[in-house]
Amino acid sequence: MDKSALITGITGQDGSYLAELLLQKGYTVHGLVRRSSSFSTGRIDHLYRDIHENPKLLLHYGDLTDGQALTNLVLNLQPDEIYNLGAQSHVRVSFDQPVYTLMTDGVGALNVLEAARILNNSKPVRVYQASSSEMYGDVLETPQKETTPFNPQSPYACAKVYAFFQTINYRRSYGLFACNGILFNHESPRRGETFVTRKITRAATRIKLGLQKKLFLGNLDAKRDWGFAKDYVEAMWLMLQHQQADDFVIATGHTYSIREFLDLVFSKLDLNWNDYVEIDPRYFRPAEVELLLGDPTKAKQLLGWSPKTSLQELAEIMVDHDLELAKRELHNQSFQS
Amino acid sequence: MRAIITGITGQDGSYLTELLLGKGYEVHGIVRRSSTMQRPRLDHQVHDQSIYGKKLFLHYSDLTDTTSLRRIIQRVEPTEFYHLAGQSHVGLSFDIPESTCELTAMGTLRILEILRDLSPTPKFLHASSREIFGTPTQSPQDESTPVNPNSPYGAAKAFANQLVKIYRESHGLFFCNAICFNHESPRRAENFVTRKISLAAAKIKLGLQNELLLGNIDTHRDWGFAAEFVEAMWRILQQPSPKDFILATGQSHSVQDFIQFAFQHVGLNWKDYYRLDPRFHRPTEPQNLLGNASLAERELGWKHQTSLQQLAALMVDHDLALLKNL
Repeated sequence: MDKSALITGITGQDGSYLAELLLQKGYTVHGLVRRSSSFSTGRIDHLYRDIHENPKLLLHYGDLTDGQALTNLVLNLQPDEIYNLGAQSHVRVSFDQPVYTLMTDGVGALNVLEAARILNNSKPVRVYQASSSEMYGDVLETPQKETTPFNPQSPYACAKVYAFFQTINYRRSYGLFACNGILFNHESPRRGETFVTRKITRAATRIKLGLQKKLFLGNLDAKRDWGFAKDYVEAMWLMLQHQQADDFVIATGHTYSIREFLDLVFSKLDLNWNDYVEIDPRYFRPAEVELLLGDPTKAKQLLGWSPKTSLQELAEIMVDHDLELAKRELHNQSFQS
Repeated sequence: MRAIITGITGQDGSYLTELLLGKGYEVHGIVRRSSTMQRPRLDHQVHDQSIYGKKLFLHYSDLTDTTSLRRIIQRVEPTEFYHLAGQSHVGLSFDIPESTCELTAMGTLRILEILRDLSPTPKFLHASSREIFGTPTQSPQDESTPVNPNSPYGAAKAFANQLVKIYRESHGLFFCNAICFNHESPRRAENFVTRKISLAAAKIKLGLQNELLLGNIDTHRDWGFAAEFVEAMWRILQQPSPKDFILATGQSHSVQDFIQFAFQHVGLNWKDYYRLDPRFHRPTEPQNLLGNASLAERELGWKHQTSLQQLAALMVDHDLALLKNL
């Protein structure tokens, strides 16, 4: 019997990797997309050609803040699993847009849980909530694990903490199979270009080809626990296959500074980042999270999950990808002129 | 002169940006945050370092987010405000009526409320739509035609259109509606019928596609060229007094006419490729849509220039170049 899943945020980094994983496993995959006059499906275009060619991937217009349309969709599709990955996910932007961030990341998650709760009355459904290491904020213990108290430092993190506790509340109050995956930073060639790792690999490869001269960054001393997004979506799926709903930290257990990531990327291109990087205070967050380091022991013990890709390998994957992109850019420029 | 544009990443927003930058304006655009940085219509300006950060600025916000909108508007202190953003797809508004209303109707009200508190209040233009007329009993439609929408999008636009008028009359503000009939261009989104057709003609010509699937092609529309419409929007705000204007060509063509123009341009017979697909039928189709823009001609000195045949050729040529460049 084929399973079906609904993914919110399917056009994002994680959504696209998860869609690939589930399609490989034989799922019918439904994706929720915001309507926009410019198409945002770049990361799943290789999966989504035409409904006649791939009837296993279907996209539906909606919005996490539109609870009624979301409930209708969930009741019509009757998915076995719902992965709530949709969010305003940029921490810095959440300081400029706190209300929108809470509506989407907090109330949006509640809308998903409400829809699932209604469907669950007639048909069992399992929900994955994308929680975040940002919830630990100004960390109260290191490394951070499932029992570490939250201490959020941004509107984004506050909204994610709200969604986290609502997920637990729906599990306890209504017996809904709802899990939180507390994911530490996870990157890939599909990372949005305003996120620091991708910003670095894009800039380094463009600098290598003479398309760019400088790279402006904020706090180079911030330390993160960075994994590969493709490894992490596997953990999401494993959580929903587990015998009971639970919350899991997903991390590598290693931490590196942005400085160290710069070293990995620029040295792979035989460049010295000190020649190109400039500090721009505009990129400093009003409140910075200094050291995030996750302890994934529980996921390893109960789900049999562990990260496969080191930061060095990840940097290589991203540099290789972005170098190709930069070459194409160079080619197009010569074509136009 | 300082302008804010909502919907700056859209078809009209991008043409208006070019127009205002050309006139020496400082342009501020409001954009929704998205993990995919899709702003192809603005890329040429955003990547131009003599423009971006100097004459053109983008700010993250959302029509549902009042506090961040207010903060941006207060900081920018615009002299003119062009409100072009909305969930603008009519067919989709039947699937997502609530978010359509939230963005298109409530989003407009939020902006009106913020602007009203500013001193001085900027001049305000709302890109209204002929969809507010729904199925009109009189044809052609002008500024006095009764509002009678027949889609969730039309209803939301009617609400916004009426509020603009109410704010103008009750608070004495320079707030105007540009009631736009369909206006197309090579920058039209790919799920609108004209662009779908121009892309299909180009793809079929290049052997990348075999057929054109569409719903009902007997429906008639009054189609103009978007680059000309934004010129009229600007002129509306340069008038001595605020007023609503119909923007239209005054000529009616069927979807079939457009298909014919597009396919003719690349030497193909459309009948060999068109196939009816009932999935694209709308629950209701507006009828008798034809605009009378004589007020705009009289008072703004504005009249459309590009014929539908020329427009179809323009769009197909653009899509041919685009596909060859991939």
